[in-house]
Amino acid sequence: MHKHEDAPIKHASSNLVLVGNPNVGKSVIFGALTGRYATVSNYPGTTVEVARGAFTARGRSFGVIDSPGVNSLVPMSEDERVTRDILLGHEADAVLQVMDAKNLRRGLLVTIQLVEMGLPVTLALNMYDEAGERGITIDDDVLSRLTGLRVIPTIATQRWNMDKLDHAFFNDTPVSSEMRYPQAIEDGIKALETIAPRARITARALAIMLLSGDTTLDGFLKRSLSEDGIRKIEATRREVQARFTEPLGYIINRARLKVVDAMIGKVVTRSEAGHGRIASFIGRYSTHPVWGIPILLAVLFIMYEFVGVLGAGKSVDFLQRMVFEAYLNPWVTRVVEYAFPSGVIRDLIVGEYGLVTMALTYAIAIILPVVGFFFIFFGFLEDSGYLPRLAVMVDRVFKSMGLNGKAVLPMVLGLGCDTMATMTTRILETKKERVIVTLLLALGVPCSAQLGVILGMLAAISWKATVIWAGAVLFIMFIVGYASSKIVPGAASDFMLEIPPIRLPQFRNIVLKTVVRVQWYLKEAVPLFILGTLFLFVLDKTHALGAVEYVASPFVVGFLNLPIEATQAFIVGFLRRDYGAAGLFALQQKGMLDPIQVVVSLVTITLFIPCIANLFMIIKERGLKTAIIMTAFIFPFAALMGGILNLILRLLNPSL
Amino acid sequence: MAVDKAFEEVLEFVWSLREAGSNSIKALLEIDEVKEAEADSSTLEAMQRDGLLTLDNDSITLTNKGEKLAEAAIRRHRLAERLLTEVLAMDTDSVEKNACSFEHTLSPEVTDRICALLGHPPTCPHGLPVPRGECCKKSKDAVKPIVEPLTELGVGDSGRIIFILSGSHARLDKLSALGIVPGSVLHVHQKRPAFVLQLGETSLAFDADIVKEIYVKKMS
Repeated sequence: MHKHEDAPIKHASSNLVLVGNPNVGKSVIFGALTGRYATVSNYPGTTVEVARGAFTARGRSFGVIDSPGVNSLVPMSEDERVTRDILLGHEADAVLQVMDAKNLRRGLLVTIQLVEMGLPVTLALNMYDEAGERGITIDDDVLSRLTGLRVIPTIATQRWNMDKLDHAFFNDTPVSSEMRYPQAIEDGIKALETIAPRARITARALAIMLLSGDTTLDGFLKRSLSEDGIRKIEATRREVQARFTEPLGYIINRARLKVVDAMIGKVVTRSEAGHGRIASFIGRYSTHPVWGIPILLAVLFIMYEFVGVLGAGKSVDFLQRMVFEAYLNPWVTRVVEYAFPSGVIRDLIVGEYGLVTMALTYAIAIILPVVGFFFIFFGFLEDSGYLPRLAVMVDRVFKSMGLNGKAVLPMVLGLGCDTMATMTTRILETKKERVIVTLLLALGVPCSAQLGVILGMLAAISWKATVIWAGAVLFIMFIVGYASSKIVPGAASDFMLEIPPIRLPQFRNIVLKTVVRVQWYLKEAVPLFILGTLFLFVLDKTHALGAVEYVASPFVVGFLNLPIEATQAFIVGFLRRDYGAAGLFALQQKGMLDPIQVVVSLVTITLFIPCIANLFMIIKERGLKTAIIMTAFIFPFAALMGGILNLILRLLNPSL
Repeated sequence: MAVDKAFEEVLEFVWSLREAGSNSIKALLEIDEVKEAEADSSTLEAMQRDGLLTLDNDSITLTNKGEKLAEAAIRRHRLAERLLTEVLAMDTDSVEKNACSFEHTLSPEVTDRICALLGHPPTCPHGLPVPRGECCKKSKDAVKPIVEPLTELGVGDSGRIIFILSGSHARLDKLSALGIVPGSVLHVHQKRPAFVLQLGETSLAFDADIVKEIYVKKMS
């Protein structure tokens, strides 16, 4: 969420790329080496694009590149592809492979591929402590001898042995790969080596990728080969495949695993170690078909109490009523009135649509505490390892929306920020899944700022109002998801997801993560709040606001049954829906909304597109056409759903 | 005991005709495969002389001896079908062709081994019953097949992967990248709402669709 900070390091003499399986601690090591913060969490797929930083050792400066986790360098999803492309390009001078010391098998499977590529590789055996706790002893010297690589045990979260990683930067000699495959495959490799285009990596590695049937290389091939060459590659691949009943990629991986298993037999010793930790107990029950549900409800309840009641209720109340309304705003007003006794400038700063009285009050007093509290809670959730377990619980529901449980990861991240979550859809394997999740994020997942305001407003009414709001939004999302699974062409993918161990979150990481995210929020949101306020200010001064309200009145007043002032909230809601929600919050505080109106207006604004930035991200990730279709669908649909909910609630008239 | 291949074929069809509720000689001789085996009424008479069956007008009845031979042949045929469909993943047409020639070469010993490998399947791929063999009757063995889909294991069980039957290349590639290949040991943590399996120190969540394609030998 801070890619704009990561200006490429152009003058570095050489680049070290951090590569490894998902969730092994690459980003922690990146942070330790460069001093830059890359988001660190306890679930696979936190990093979906590269982060860059710099490192200086022995008087030389280097570039450090953090990459998304991979299980194979034949990519299965877009985030894996990002990593493969870095290695394929000319940026990578050396590789530091970060491994989970307790999962050497999967790590070494990647090592073999990196060595095949002819890259200088250094191994960091991270989470060395966790391996020890589980009775796994690794003979580093033997591993080093067998692989020919320098092996450095590390515990990145405790900064242990980070100083020894220097070696990786100065390592410029690749070892030769001794990995051999069945004869028919070796013959195919030989044939392809001569055709394959030249790249940073060895022709042999490229030939093996091509044999595995890596379709993500198509673009690269088209750029560097004639059509004839591409045809030859395909023909060779088919010829070799015809000699096996199983897919070549599978046979190649099996051959590698055989070598890896032989290696592990010589390197790893296991002793019985205590597994009865509280963490593994929670881990087990959080995916249990029965106990998982109360645990999920408990997590939601804690969120409601912490973010809604404590964050949006008490802290907002304090900041807004005490700090802003009692002291800051009157003080600013006095100062401004002293300088500009009357007129446009006074109104611009402290008027009804003033930059301080509206934009800053909303951004700092209402949204900021909410976002802060949410990110603390969310950071805790991310680092505990609970999120992938949630995926197990919801897999079935997601199946009927043409998705699988893995899609819950970007959806939950959307509660933090829909824009970033839209980018995280890269961890999903098929285009269909990415489109559906992007749509659902834009349509129904409220981001932290908005969620906090919403919870605050609902908590002021009753838990029943909260349930109606959440139920309506979830139901609408499900229906839209179900319908789009029928409409959007393409296939769903298999549900295969790594479940990390439950870990006690580190206070330091949560604080750091929250600070980075709050900073990012301020940078992202405040300018838009100011822009939105200016827009309202201009509308008001030119008396266009009245006209807009007049035009919107049949819809806002007639159809949604809301006071006409809600129109302003909806107008700024086009820019950022949390800003719109903040406007509704202010209306509620003034006693202008009854409980049903609160619920109806909140459901309507929840269904708006989150913000302009989100819209740009949709265009970037999904293309302009998809973005236009989604926008054209979402706004009228949001209005329609609000109206229908209003009718239903007025008819049933529940006591809220 | 060597039985004429045509005799064996006829015995099998008498059996399957009987399953369909008929014992008509005319119906039997109408069957394509019976014609292909060049079996006609003279074959039937020869079989009657050998004491395999009795003929009475249009109806046909197996003798005890014929019954035993027919049962064994049917068992071989249907097990062969299962082996070819499930383990070798052949398509329906070639399964039929190969099962017919395959069955005649199977010794009782090999038949029982196949039966155990497949987990003593109660039916053939078409859903017809596979006659029980000696191996199935050994009570312990009957409930404990050697190879079974991972979905059959209970929570807390472990199994060593024997083979993975998947038509999807992408799925096999992905599984192998995670280290899930024949020879790997998987531990079942939970089966619902989705499968959670442990491989070494890695926990992985899967759909049941994927898990049922993984065939394992349960470890005690």
